[in-house]
Amino acid sequence: MRDMTLTGLERLDAGAADADATFQMDEDAFRLFYDRTARPVWAYLARMTGDPRLADDLLQEAYYRFLRARATHDDDAHRRNYLFRIATNLAHDVRRRPRLDAAALADTDSAGDAADPRSGDVAADTARRLDLARAMSRLKPRERDLLWLAYAQGSSHGEIAETLGLKTSSIKMLLFRARRRLAALLRERAR
Amino acid sequence: MTECPREAEVFEAVAFGRWPAHAGADLQAHVAGCPVCRDVADVAPALHGDRQALMRASHPPTAGVVWWRATIRARAEATRTAMQPITLWQGIAAASIVGVVAALGGSLWEWSRTADRIGGLVTLLASRDAASLASFGFEHAALVLLVVVTCLVLAPVALYLALSDD
Repeated sequence: MRDMTLTGLERLDAGAADADATFQMDEDAFRLFYDRTARPVWAYLARMTGDPRLADDLLQEAYYRFLRARATHDDDAHRRNYLFRIATNLAHDVRRRPRLDAAALADTDSAGDAADPRSGDVAADTARRLDLARAMSRLKPRERDLLWLAYAQGSSHGEIAETLGLKTSSIKMLLFRARRRLAALLRERAR
Repeated sequence: MTECPREAEVFEAVAFGRWPAHAGADLQAHVAGCPVCRDVADVAPALHGDRQALMRASHPPTAGVVWWRATIRARAEATRTAMQPITLWQGIAAASIVGVVAALGGSLWEWSRTADRIGGLVTLLASRDAASLASFGFEHAALVLLVVVTCLVLAPVALYLALSDD
């Protein structure tokens, strides 16, 4: 390769410094947005992948892709849905790898600080969450996404459709089927 | 039945921690008899509770760290992108040089084989026989075209390489 001159390197460095300008928001706006969304996105990634450590990596990747995206957002809700859409795609990519171990996440979560301090019944809480993790692992990826967004995240049908790239009109039926399957699996485990 | 008008009411009770203990008797009675709401009452508390527990257990890096890592990565990508045209032009230049050398080699070979024709051309030029001269030019049109095209390709490449460090 041809040796680069000092001028060339300086030019590259100057170009690289402009990388900050390629982000779709400034640092202050990002901090506010991140503080509002990081934990919910991490929880979503952790449950969808079943691996907290992987969720850490995917969280960084999700925000990087979000910052580099050229998309324009009408409001904060739209911005959040877009971030969840990126997270969903990342989780889908990971699903092509070896199957997740449902118990691993529940074990990690059973650490003392993860238990609901109000419940006072850490063992029962851990058992319930282990049942949920196992039941979720038996659902299709799309069903997991739908159920989490609807009942954990509390998203509306319109928001779910935007996040998953589906038609709003189809969400009701898809959600009904997914909910029925998960409810049956949870009842089966409760017996 | 795939939906129930009281479905949202059940989810709201779950989300605000009222289900089941602090939900109204009317709602509890409805859930007991409605398969849709019963499914919601089974699924929503499990997912909602799981989210709360996961969020308590999560330790995401600070916004500053995520921003800093993203900046570093963006710079690395910008540098890589900036290097791409240079590499491309180097490839084109190398391919052009190989092409020119091959073309020149071929030409020399051809010319050495037709040295007698050159002698003939000199004779033709000396005699100024226009018809014969045109015939000779047509026979070598492909060779002349090759040389012209090579020059047209090489000129901008040479110009770029000469000026790229300015």
